[in-house]
Amino acid sequence: MRKSIVVGGLVLAALTAALAAAQTNTAWLHVRVDEAQKSSKVRVNLPMTVVDAVVKATPDLIEEHGKVNFGEHHGMKLADCRRAWKQLMAAGDAEFVTVESEDENVRVQRKGDLVIVYADHKGRPAKTAKAEAEAGKPEAEGKGKGPGEVRIEVPVSLVDALLSGEGEEVNLQAALAEVQKRRGDIVRVHDTDADVRIWIDDQNSQGTSAR
Amino acid sequence: MAKLAIVLAIPLALLATVASLGVMVVDVREAGPDGHHIVVPVPLVLAQTALAVGPAFAHQQDLRIHDAEALKHMPLARQVLEALADGPDGELVRVEERDEQVVITKQGRSLHVQVHGGHGEDVDVNVPLQLALQALPDSQGNIRTTALAAALGGVRFTDLVKVHDGNEQVHIYVW
Repeated sequence: MRKSIVVGGLVLAALTAALAAAQTNTAWLHVRVDEAQKSSKVRVNLPMTVVDAVVKATPDLIEEHGKVNFGEHHGMKLADCRRAWKQLMAAGDAEFVTVESEDENVRVQRKGDLVIVYADHKGRPAKTAKAEAEAGKPEAEGKGKGPGEVRIEVPVSLVDALLSGEGEEVNLQAALAEVQKRRGDIVRVHDTDADVRIWIDDQNSQGTSAR
Repeated sequence: MAKLAIVLAIPLALLATVASLGVMVVDVREAGPDGHHIVVPVPLVLAQTALAVGPAFAHQQDLRIHDAEALKHMPLARQVLEALADGPDGELVRVEERDEQVVITKQGRSLHVQVHGGHGEDVDVNVPLQLALQALPDSQGNIRTTALAAALGGVRFTDLVKVHDGNEQVHIYVW
């Protein structure tokens, strides 16, 4: 009798462990946005199965938003970006881009498996901004904002996937496939106004990994 | 004596039958000393019958969604609801601001929405995913009332809505 109880207990424990393992193997996409000034916090946790469903149900959306025309905005075609990216990756850890201007400094560098973009907005005196606004200069008010900094971290593998397509379109499908394989941070943005973190793990809550 | 027993037995049997098939209860408590307490029990079977036979009496146009823009998003809504229903449980969304909190959790086959306002108002809504799925119109915009009626049977013993605002309360549950 005692043996039956022990065996029953072991079977139950094994089943519970299997169920728990099955539960934790589900990948979850987490989004965390903290805006300190507004005392606002947003947490989103979505099973990747739901993200998949959204992606599969919206092929038009992907087609529409998956196109990036670099030629119009930056004077650089996506094909050129791909070539440049390959060469940059071959160079290993390095600072790729440094732009220093009166208003802001921008640096793009590779560090391990991350591409890190730093944008350091210097801000300008309020008087200058106001004078420009009165003179009708476009975007003058926006430029009059105080100093701030943005730090964006993106995995190299994600950029690889995005640039793996052909022609002038980014390969959003490949990027999504890469995202699904990945465990860990996808994007991290640190700004003076807000902190944003997007990552994937096997937990159904943000718990301690959200720190 | 036997007649009295029969007279009493018939409504009791009817009541027991209705109760066994489920009752949706709308319970409203108004604030203040003169506030009313209104309880409206609606037998589920009545609602199900109305949904089942409704299309025979109503105009087809009244049971159809005409908004093309809304209809365009129905397949996405259906896919998301199905994926949510099949997916694991957990807290899906939490928004916290100075005086307001919104939490959406998936528990079993339901979505649980909790809103806590800064002035003491609390709203709890349970959305049975199966019911939500059946409430979605088909690709032509038709609301499938028969399927909706059938899904109603699956939401028994559920608190659908609880609203607490000061001393006023609204509670809708299926028993």
